[in-house]
Amino acid sequence: MDGTCCGPGYASPAEAIKAPREKLLYTIAIYTGTGIQKPDYLATVDVDPDSPTYSQVIHRLEMPGIGDELHHMGWNACSSCHDDSSMARKYLILPGVRSNNLHIVDTATDPRAPRLHKVIDGAEIKSKANLSGPHTVHCLGSEIIISFLGDAMGEAPGGYLHLSKDFEIVGRWEESMGDIKFGYDFWYQPRHNVMVSSEWASPNTFMPGFDLEEVGHLKYGRELHFWDFEARKPVESMYLGEDGLIPLEVKFHHDPDSTHGFCGAALSSNVIHFWKSDAGNWEWEKIIDVENEPHPEWPIPVPGVMSAILVSMDDKFLYLNNWLHGDMRQYNIEDPHNPVLTGQVFMGGLLGKAPVINGVEMAGGPQMFQLSLDGRRLYVTTSLFSTWDNQFYPEIRERGGVMVMIDCDPVNGGMSINEEFIVNFGTEPNGPSRCHESRYPGGDCTSDIWL
Amino acid sequence: MSKTRTITIANRGGATYEVDARRPLLDTLTEQGLDLPYGCKYGGCITCAAKLTDGQIDQRRQVALNNRQLGNGYVLMCVARAVTDCTFEIGVESHDRLYRNPFLDPLQPHELKADIATPKDT
Repeated sequence: MDGTCCGPGYASPAEAIKAPREKLLYTIAIYTGTGIQKPDYLATVDVDPDSPTYSQVIHRLEMPGIGDELHHMGWNACSSCHDDSSMARKYLILPGVRSNNLHIVDTATDPRAPRLHKVIDGAEIKSKANLSGPHTVHCLGSEIIISFLGDAMGEAPGGYLHLSKDFEIVGRWEESMGDIKFGYDFWYQPRHNVMVSSEWASPNTFMPGFDLEEVGHLKYGRELHFWDFEARKPVESMYLGEDGLIPLEVKFHHDPDSTHGFCGAALSSNVIHFWKSDAGNWEWEKIIDVENEPHPEWPIPVPGVMSAILVSMDDKFLYLNNWLHGDMRQYNIEDPHNPVLTGQVFMGGLLGKAPVINGVEMAGGPQMFQLSLDGRRLYVTTSLFSTWDNQFYPEIRERGGVMVMIDCDPVNGGMSINEEFIVNFGTEPNGPSRCHESRYPGGDCTSDIWL
Repeated sequence: MSKTRTITIANRGGATYEVDARRPLLDTLTEQGLDLPYGCKYGGCITCAAKLTDGQIDQRRQVALNNRQLGNGYVLMCVARAVTDCTFEIGVESHDRLYRNPFLDPLQPHELKADIATPKDT
């Protein structure tokens, strides 16, 4: 905190890096699609090494019903309203991708035991905004916008739901979707009046699982879209072609003055770098290309499936996963045109390089991850999405998901699996569940944006 | 013709349920206490899939199953209605052929979803 105000978050990325170490972490865990007839839940994980319950789930907040498929989540407020003393980072918003419900969870009253504050019914969102398939949540000053990947019938491109700070439906956020074919993730950089959005597929395409054949039938995305953020309209689209099949996660630098950003193209397993040139044009290039790997039983080589990327708070390192190969990688991106591989570890995956981590037999590969604000601890989970898990890693039904911690060197680069920490969701009280996205109470490397 | 159909659940000891033929099976069966999985409730995901082993259903509203899954008997209970008396296997035990690794076991053109499938070569 800079002491001049008392809104949420931090005055700058540099201030965020100096924040106290995280002691709690929230991750969603699903039973949807697992065969266990229990609600999905928000797990609180103790990440304080001085605590007797370190590396354990210490609380589980069940959703009211089954079948939500919790996936990503986001805060009601972040550093974008650091100057607004009337705001607080109190609520975590947990969308159900399949049910369309939005769960508003109070994490502030008792951070160890979050409680359900409100549910916005999925049917109400369909009737008022004609949207389904919620994904990314970003706050926007005191307001909240959420990308939805389909209309009420699950057809692309969907749009953006606008919520007030009191979690009332305002309506659609965007003025127009232009010619955008699909939705997925988005990030914005207000000082440059830009938002960038990416493309997965329509809910009716991705929810049942991955039919590779549908990629060739243009049922999956391959474009990035640049928006006039204030006008709420897309103004330019970039066709990435074979280099950018299924462009998923989009991150700008945390530095609000920077125009550099990155996107991980999951199926191509490439990192796309974009930036505004000196002439004022948006440019893109492929900067990382993960080669497909041979597999003893597969007729065609295995793609990495880079489903997530993350930029450290100091903008020095980019982290990525290869869910099918089983590796997490760290690249130095101080020169964003020329990334340098500085770390790599394996955990699970289909190539058989690390089947057991800290005594736990892995199912799945590295999937979602969250980095500590100081850049030293990377928490990685293994489940992607219930139907896709069931296709590629059917053994995850019996074994459940796992959370692993990777120690990262934010000065010289380097990664190693921490041998003291592992959370095995295979031994949960109601049976094996699957963990996905994680967040810290104080804000994290994938939530905060500076105005 | 009567508006009631008899539904038999083979992998629940052959339990039977009388259901209204005009309503989705997920609704009529869960109302009678059968514990069934579900997700989207509009036929757009396959969380509620069950396997039909005998009888006929109408699931024209579903948009998630590809033609191979349909050929293997999968039914989305959230939108399907019973045309005749039917027998199902439910839950994950019935999902042996629902999921496939697309890299190991490609779909043929006629096995794709209805909107992009091409007729089978004869």
